Parts: sequence; C-alpha cells; structure tokens
Amino acid sequence: MASYTDPPEEGRGRRDLTVALVFLFLAAVALYLPSGVQSQIAEGLRGTVLRPFVETQEALVQAKLRAEDALELQAQLDSLASIVASQASLLEENRRLREHLDLENRAPGVFIHANVMRPGTTGSGSMFLLDVGSDQGVNPGDPVLMRTGRIGLVGVIREVSREGAIGLDWSHPDFRASAMTADGEVFGLVEPRRGDFRGGDRLLLNAIPFHERLDPGTLVTTSGLGGIFPRGIPIGEVMGLHQDYGDYRSEYWLRPVVETGSATHVLVVRSDPALEDLLEFLEGGGEGGPPGGGQGEGGRGG
Amino acid sequence: MTRKTVLGILVPILVILHFFLHVGLRIERAAPDLLTLALLFAARENGMGPGGALGFFFGLLEDAFSVLAFGASALAMTLVGILGARTRDLFVGDSLRFFFVYFLAGKLLREVIYWVVAGETVREPFLNAVLIDGGIAAFYVASMGALLVLLLGGARALR
Repeated sequence: MASYTDPPEEGRGRRDLTVALVFLFLAAVALYLPSGVQSQIAEGLRGTVLRPFVETQEALVQAKLRAEDALELQAQLDSLASIVASQASLLEENRRLREHLDLENRAPGVFIHANVMRPGTTGSGSMFLLDVGSDQGVNPGDPVLMRTGRIGLVGVIREVSREGAIGLDWSHPDFRASAMTADGEVFGLVEPRRGDFRGGDRLLLNAIPFHERLDPGTLVTTSGLGGIFPRGIPIGEVMGLHQDYGDYRSEYWLRPVVETGSATHVLVVRSDPALEDLLEFLEGGGEGGPPGGGQGEGGRGG
Repeated sequence: MTRKTVLGILVPILVILHFFLHVGLRIERAAPDLLTLALLFAARENGMGPGGALGFFFGLLEDAFSVLAFGASALAMTLVGILGARTRDLFVGDSLRFFFVYFLAGKLLREVIYWVVAGETVREPFLNAVLIDGGIAAFYVASMGALLVLLLGGARALR
C-alpha cells in the first residue's frame, strides 16, 4: 500500500521531531540546573560570543566618562577638598570620644570604583554587570553605591568572577536593607515594591513604630544593622505614609536617592582584612586612625 | 539569490543587530526584539529540529544576562522555534498580512511562555507584562518583520 508521505520526507520529519524534543529537553534542564552551573554557562557565553557586545557598552561608558566636563570635575574636587580640610580634626575627636565611651573601633572599608553595564535584554531587569571582580577584591555581598548629587545605595554584589561581577539593584524583589532616619531616631526595614510597569518600582520603609511620624523629605539611610550595608548610606527620602497597621506599625513610601537605570559609574565597598590588621597593629602602637592610600576609605558596620 | 541564501545572511545580521542594540548600546524596549524575529524567519524556513536548536541557542544567549530566570528564555525560544517551524506545514501563507500575524503571534507566544516559566519573583502582573508590554513589543516585532519582508521582495519571496 502506498504511503501518503514520501519515505525520505517521513524520515526527515521524525529526525526533526527527535532533534526538537532533545533541545526542548535541554532547555528544560537548563532551567533547573544548579545556580552555580547556570552562572558558569552564563559567564562562558558573556566571555566569548557576547564579549564584543559587552565591550561595546564598556567602551561607550568609558567614552561618556571621558566626556565629563573638566570644570565640573574640578568644582567637585574643590568641594571635596574643602570638606576634608574642614573635617580634618573630626577623626581625632572621634577617636578620643570612642575611647571615652569605650566603643569598639570601626572596621574600615575600601571603595573600589567600577563601570556599570546594563544589558537591555529580556530578564535582565534588576541586574547590572561590573568591570571589576575578584582580582580587584570584590566579593559577593559587597554593597554598591553611586553618587548622583549625593551618594546613595544602588544594590549588592551577587556573583563574582575574576574580572567581573554581577550585582542586583534595589528594585530586585529580594532586596532588603536595615534602615534608619538620618538623625538615627527611627529604625525600619526598606524593601522594594513593584510598580505597575517596569521603571515604576518604588521603595517602602517598613516596620516603623506606630507612634513615630516621618515628615515628607526625611532622609532615610542604612542603619548598619545586619552587617551587609555600612551605616549611613542614603537610601531615599520619605514621600508619604503608605499604610498604618493597627496600633503597632506603619509603612512609608520612599523616593530613592539613586535611580538605578541611570547608573554608569559606581563604588563597591569591601572590607579589607589586610587593612583591618594594619589598623589594629597601628592603633596598638598608639598611632590611631585609618591609613591613607590611593583608595578611599569609609566606615563599615555600625 | 535563493530564499535560503537571503535568510542565511539576514538571520545572523538580525542576531548581531539585536545584541548590538540591546547590550552594546543598552537600548531596552525602544529597540525591537530582533532575536525572536530572526528565529521566526529561520524556523519557518527550516524544520522543527533546526528551529528548536536555534531557539535553544538564541535563548541561552539571552539567558546569559538573566541571573534571576536562567533557562526561561531558552525554553521559550525553543518552543517558539519548534512551533514556528510547524506553521510551514500548517499554513501556506503568502501574504504580507499572514507574515505580520505570524510574527505577532510568535513574539506574543514567546512572552507568554517566558512569563509562565520565569517565576513569581521576576515577573510582573500578567496584564502589564504580557498583554500591554508584550502586546506592544509583539506589534513592534511584527511591523519590523513585515517591513523586512517587503524589503526582501515581498511575501512571495519568503513563502
């Protein structure tokens, strides 16, 4: 009996179906691979076939930085120099006060500057790539800051390779930061809330005691509790009351200090064990104060 | 030039252009999803096997920038590649309108599958992510696809 289909066509159809099912199976496997293996595959692709595109964005970010107005940079440098000069005695005063109050020494952190790349592909929301990695001392969990007028919290490092890192910004649903008002009077927890559309994400200051009232415009910073984010990094400004929960807590909307989509140049804060040892050694010998160097220093922990 | 040769040149160009616009120039929704468009062009020309394979590799390339839903694009693109290849057996379209609907449905299907697979932590509400954002993106892809079909000598050239 004659077949309705041409035998070679039928064979090709079966082969096609088998190949299609194999790749469907592989795609399903890729979805459930351990996250470490997924990271390796992603890193491999970014470092090979996709490298030219990542480098293109790196080059554009560099060009944008180089195009910064030199006069504006000079003005910023002058402002910083005046702040440093006017606060030169604070370090010594602070050290004496801490001694009087018997407070522990702050562990210093090191700021590493990095360029931010953001792919505009599907599923890449809330993540950014950095051009610094473990070679520069970046570790998973290090906080990432950015200055837009004032310095603010961008997010946290999630994965690190030798020459690159992946971070998640504050719009990621799992982001949490222990926070306080800038005057240190009221403590709460900051978490993101998805907007109706991408770009409409906002921050919510949660767990505020019911009897505390925050005025619009109040600056909210990290509290240093939990040990992930250094104390005092601005997160956002209070926009208004979101909700009261009975007689025990309330929530406030925050306007983020840093709009993550605009980030091109950031600072990664890392603790430096070698520097901590050096500081301990110096302070043990009566020579207090964190050592200077090419990299900036910042307080860490609270 | 044969249709296979035209698509053999067009598909890699679309893939490179997609990553150049989205990754190199950091353009998000303002640039169309040329990767899905390339897949839909290639899948209809080839069988289910090559369609699925191409979809898998294209999806993995997108997943390389997705920490939170790795594999979701690979699965979505593989399915779109397979189903796109099947349309050649099911629909013998030769009109520009057919190609427009084919690209529109292909992109929308990709968005739906991605939304289902990506998981709750990543996805936005269905109405916004798929129907509004996805619908606009699908219309954008379909328009670009139809324009390309026209530029390549009309729908008959790619039938």
